[in-house]
Amino acid sequence: MLRLITCQHATMLLEQRADMPLAAADRRSLWLHLRFCPLCQRYATQTVLVAGLARVAAAPRHTAPGLSVAARRRLAAILPGAEK
Amino acid sequence: MPTPHLWLDTYGDELYRFALGRVGGDEVQAEELVQETFLSALSALDTFRGEASERTWLFVILRRKIIDFYRRRARHPEVSLDAVTPAGPVEAAFFRPENGHWRPEQYPAAWQTADGALEQQELQATIRGCQQKLPPQHAAVFAMRFVEELTAEEICQELAITPSNYWVIVHRAKLQLRRCLEKHGLS
Repeated sequence: MLRLITCQHATMLLEQRADMPLAAADRRSLWLHLRFCPLCQRYATQTVLVAGLARVAAAPRHTAPGLSVAARRRLAAILPGAEK
Repeated sequence: MPTPHLWLDTYGDELYRFALGRVGGDEVQAEELVQETFLSALSALDTFRGEASERTWLFVILRRKIIDFYRRRARHPEVSLDAVTPAGPVEAAFFRPENGHWRPEQYPAAWQTADGALEQQELQATIRGCQQKLPPQHAAVFAMRFVEELTAEEICQELAITPSNYWVIVHRAKLQLRRCLEKHGLS
């Protein structure tokens, strides 16, 4: 049986769907909701983009400066035999 | 055989840059994470079996330190995790409590995303800024899931939260980040 769900519920199911298989009833309800709700359709695309963007933004940037001289000195002090 | 005297010169900058990306550019915090990594590695030299490279081993330790960092942030006592319910103020700000549909002022707008949008430095800076505006627990859960790619089960264990709390936090974090990105250039 198809159950009507709210946008709040649909967006929550979209988050869960990315992580685990939904129960059959939830899957059908979400499918129906997305057919008729362009706002949640938009959310479905954008929430994937948000996650992807965060992943890319957290990746190390090879152009970023390395350890400062002071930091290197502090770290060298804890490593036996490291050049200070 | 581990060579601690070479770690700083060989891996120091690489570990630091990795940590820097994970802590939103906080140089002091990134340096601390590298220091904690070296200290843990030094105390575990006997356990290094050479099955993985020394570099891989140090990065495994650093990732563990980063997860510990997120866990400390998640325990920031700003909002009790016990108080996380799907009928909270965040949900009410986005959806009408009487029918659960989007509030008109929160309607998701179309985004102008060209190919390669994810690579844009400006956009990356925007999402880092948006993540910093999240409540600490939300930011920590979001990063553990979508940056460190831990499973929901692992995050619940790390943070001692229930799956239902976890889903409420993920949902809230995504709602807030989506809106923040939209406000700052994507719409």
